Amino acid sequence: MTNKPANSTLRVKEVNENQCHMCMPLGGVIAFKGIEGAMVLVHGSQGCSTYMRLANVEHFHEPVDIASSSLNEKQTILGGEKNLNKALDNVLRVYQPTMLGILTTCLAETMGEDMDRMIRAYLQEHPNLGVEIISVATPSYRGTHSEGFWATTRAIIAHYARVCESHNRINVIIPNISPADIREIKRIMGLFGVEYTLIPDFSMTLDRPYGGRYQKIPTGGTSPADVSRMPGAPVTIQFGLTCPDALSPGLYLEQQFGVRLINLPIPIGVDNVDQFIAALSHICGKPVPEQLTLERGWLLDGMADAHKYNAEGRPAIYGEPEMVYALTGVCIENGAEPVVIASGSPHSKLKDLVRPMVSDLAEQPFLIEEADFASIEHAAVSAGATIGVGHSGGKFLTERHGIPVTRVGYPIHDRIGGQRIFSAGYAGTLAFLDRFTNTLLEQKYGSYREKKKDEMALNRVM
Amino acid sequence: MSMSEEMMGDMLEKYPEKVLKNRKKHITIVDTSQACQQIEANTRTIPGIITQRGCAYAGCKGVVVGPIKDMVHIVHGPVGCSYYAWGTRRNKARADENTPADKVVSTLCVTTDMQESDIVFGGEKKLARMIDEVVEAFHPRAISICATCPVGLIGDDIGAVAKAAQDRHGIQVLSFNCEGYKGVSQSAGHHIANNNLMEHVIGTGPDRDPNDRYVINILGEYNIGGDGWEMERILGDIGYKVNCVLTGDTSILEIKNLHQAHLNLVQCHRSINYIAEMMETKYGTPWLKVNFIGVEATKKTLREMALCFGDEALIQKTEEIIAREEARIMPVIEHYRKICQGKTAFAFVGGSRSHHYMHLLRDLGMEVVVAGYEFAHRDDYEGRQVIPSIKIDADSKNIPELHLTPDAEKFQEAHVHLNMSKEKFDELNKQVPLSYYEGMQPDMKDGEVMIDDCNHHELERMVRTLRPDLVFAGVRDKYFVQKLGVPGKQMHSYDYSGPYAGFNGAMNFARDITNAMTTPAWKLVTAPWEKQNQQ
Ligand code: SF4
Ligand code: SF4
Repeated sequence: MTNKPANSTLRVKEVNENQCHMCMPLGGVIAFKGIEGAMVLVHGSQGCSTYMRLANVEHFHEPVDIASSSLNEKQTILGGEKNLNKALDNVLRVYQPTMLGILTTCLAETMGEDMDRMIRAYLQEHPNLGVEIISVATPSYRGTHSEGFWATTRAIIAHYARVCESHNRINVIIPNISPADIREIKRIMGLFGVEYTLIPDFSMTLDRPYGGRYQKIPTGGTSPADVSRMPGAPVTIQFGLTCPDALSPGLYLEQQFGVRLINLPIPIGVDNVDQFIAALSHICGKPVPEQLTLERGWLLDGMADAHKYNAEGRPAIYGEPEMVYALTGVCIENGAEPVVIASGSPHSKLKDLVRPMVSDLAEQPFLIEEADFASIEHAAVSAGATIGVGHSGGKFLTERHGIPVTRVGYPIHDRIGGQRIFSAGYAGTLAFLDRFTNTLLEQKYGSYREKKKDEMALNRVM
Repeated sequence: MSMSEEMMGDMLEKYPEKVLKNRKKHITIVDTSQACQQIEANTRTIPGIITQRGCAYAGCKGVVVGPIKDMVHIVHGPVGCSYYAWGTRRNKARADENTPADKVVSTLCVTTDMQESDIVFGGEKKLARMIDEVVEAFHPRAISICATCPVGLIGDDIGAVAKAAQDRHGIQVLSFNCEGYKGVSQSAGHHIANNNLMEHVIGTGPDRDPNDRYVINILGEYNIGGDGWEMERILGDIGYKVNCVLTGDTSILEIKNLHQAHLNLVQCHRSINYIAEMMETKYGTPWLKVNFIGVEATKKTLREMALCFGDEALIQKTEEIIAREEARIMPVIEHYRKICQGKTAFAFVGGSRSHHYMHLLRDLGMEVVVAGYEFAHRDDYEGRQVIPSIKIDADSKNIPELHLTPDAEKFQEAHVHLNMSKEKFDELNKQVPLSYYEGMQPDMKDGEVMIDDCNHHELERMVRTLRPDLVFAGVRDKYFVQKLGVPGKQMHSYDYSGPYAGFNGAMNFARDITNAMTTPAWKLVTAPWEKQNQQ
């Protein structure tokens, strides 16, 4: 096993069997939902938007409203402007959003819909609407939901950002992480007492506490006024190492407005969190708060306790590139050397980033881009993976091969609480690690009993 | 509380004028003193309104074709369409004597995952290569190809690719042009799927064994949560031979033999009535609308079935099984009925279920006060007698109709299928409504509401004003209903429960909805200190 080629990459087959990724507008929906007062409209036939509601609702267990322009056969020939206009009339009237995000589907893009022109015409015809309309091209044949998330976040910033006086609110740009993790990142920044604009903040819009009045557009989200002032920030922290340059919101702010970009991994894992904390401490010129030092201590204590179990783990890590990168770090840090590292996304920088991390490992893992679960499964089985780490798509590893999965990332469709999975910061990392270690232990003792039973049965026969 | 015209006005007031007029036609407050109350259905969804509807592809692949267990279903399109229809309806399937485990391949989610170059240069070659890989890897008995929106636009000829692959590999390759933009909802996809199965699969198996008795098909049963298995259990005990369940836990082999049945049962009328009708034309097979959801409904269905065969022994056996099952389940049902009695529900599901579940809820003493469908047609609301008067609009015209004639060899008169004289059959027809469905309306009471293609805004307003105890909808609407303090039950895949059909299903259902309505969490919403403040 040890002299496997440095990496065995890529799906060589045409067939995408059991997908590891979803479609581009889906990621865009999540990003838009992180803006205050936002509603989303998907320009295309209605199936896409209905399916996207389904995929998001099953993950967040929250209402996720997405309107559609409901294109029919006729419009595929004549163009969709009339329907788009009707959709705008209705959705603006019934929802009264202050921002409307429009995402295109593969159909609209294949038809070659000129979104900018149509939206301009609509706004001209309806002055004083009091709503900002932001449209993003998201054909899925050009990217996965991860790219859709970045592209949309970038478009939102590009729409609002204005040159302004410098201030000391820092910019924080996050990838598709759980609302629980967003809250943790905010808490950490709160401990430093630093002011920030975090975008897109869907921690309240897609994970609402029970009680109070139900509102069609929930309160919360990044305020557009804050977004417009992002160009005046001293610095941008972006958790987007794998984000392609062309889609990178932080890079946009740097190139257009000269805001220095600090690109960091998602703060999961000691090293990754350290980088975040060090950056914060440096930016505010303050020492690390005592509370965080304690939390770091608890984490290390936990790692020391668990290392003997974790060192036996052979994880197969898969999912969105940014999450996979961070999780790879955590696993290596804990002696659980990954045997498969895979992402469905074809466009990220994941492979180049991960390669130096794994080059010293005793066994070279499979690195798979454009992965589907057929390729992940194949790699996991042939590399003798003992645990899967990723979203619910990996249930096949368990069902077919008895490889348990620690669920983390997006989407979680077969368990409750996807929106609450807590893995960021020192405290979150420890929570993740406990889940990971306990999954291994459960497997170990589960099969231990089985082995014992077999042994005893054998003894009886003899 | 029932709905008044005034409440309806309040609900619709927020719409622009044209939308208001349109939506009004889709809502009926039931008034039994009026002879025929017409409802508009199966027309275009208003853009920008949060509809519950999906697309033609969802109806074709997601509902009808997807469950066929020994086929690999290839989705030709960009990645999302395929991912989203992956196992979402929880159609259960297992190996059986016709289909060994290695032939059960329907859980695979396979797509061409089109990329930009495929959109520009066409995806036919990729699709063809992919079929080769699928054949090599899985050796399926047959393959389906479902096209999604962009494919229709770029003009890939999936029919030709299928034909060539069929010749190359010697297995059946069916192609479905079910692009999502066709028609106005899933309904178009049902029709496309029905046509294709009728044209290319049904009737290609061997002829009926003349010694077989009481052979039936259950059409429009998708075995969600194991519903179909519960039906088969009951029917098997009575002495029926279930030839094929279309398409829950079924195989292409069984669909080929569909013509062998003496009688077709139709569970979901909306999605499968085309095949029932076409089989009647081509083979003369009579069909009976059944409902296995609800204790009383199941009993009625079983009794009507027995009458169809007119055999004393069968009638007797039916009563025996009903008595046996009732003795077993009624104490449980009674227990739950005490809790559910007098409560109200809303039901918005699919194109048949809202009606089916009215019966089960009535068994439990509950009343459905607002009912509607996502993608039904007028006949599902008002009854099949209205079919001749339904306007065919441009959207429906785009779905080709198959014009069939009686099969020269296999056609038999309905009474011959049922092994009875013409006179006796005519007599039967007076007692049991064969080839007929009366729709949901006759089961609704004054002041109750029928609403077609209900959207998010309307649902919210109705929940706020009528305060039902339970709402049956899709998962997309479940959570906002719960935010309003009303438990929601997702009825597409049963919230991971089931079966809900037949006698065992009624018990499961009673337990599940009782739990939903009485879960202690609802009482804990207000914190003790808030309660003190309120006093
Ligand atoms: S057409 Fe494109 S946008 Fe729509 S569901 Fe399919 S992949 Fe997603
Ligand atoms: S692209 Fe078309 S077929 Fe695919 S989900 Fe959207 S509406 Fe349905």
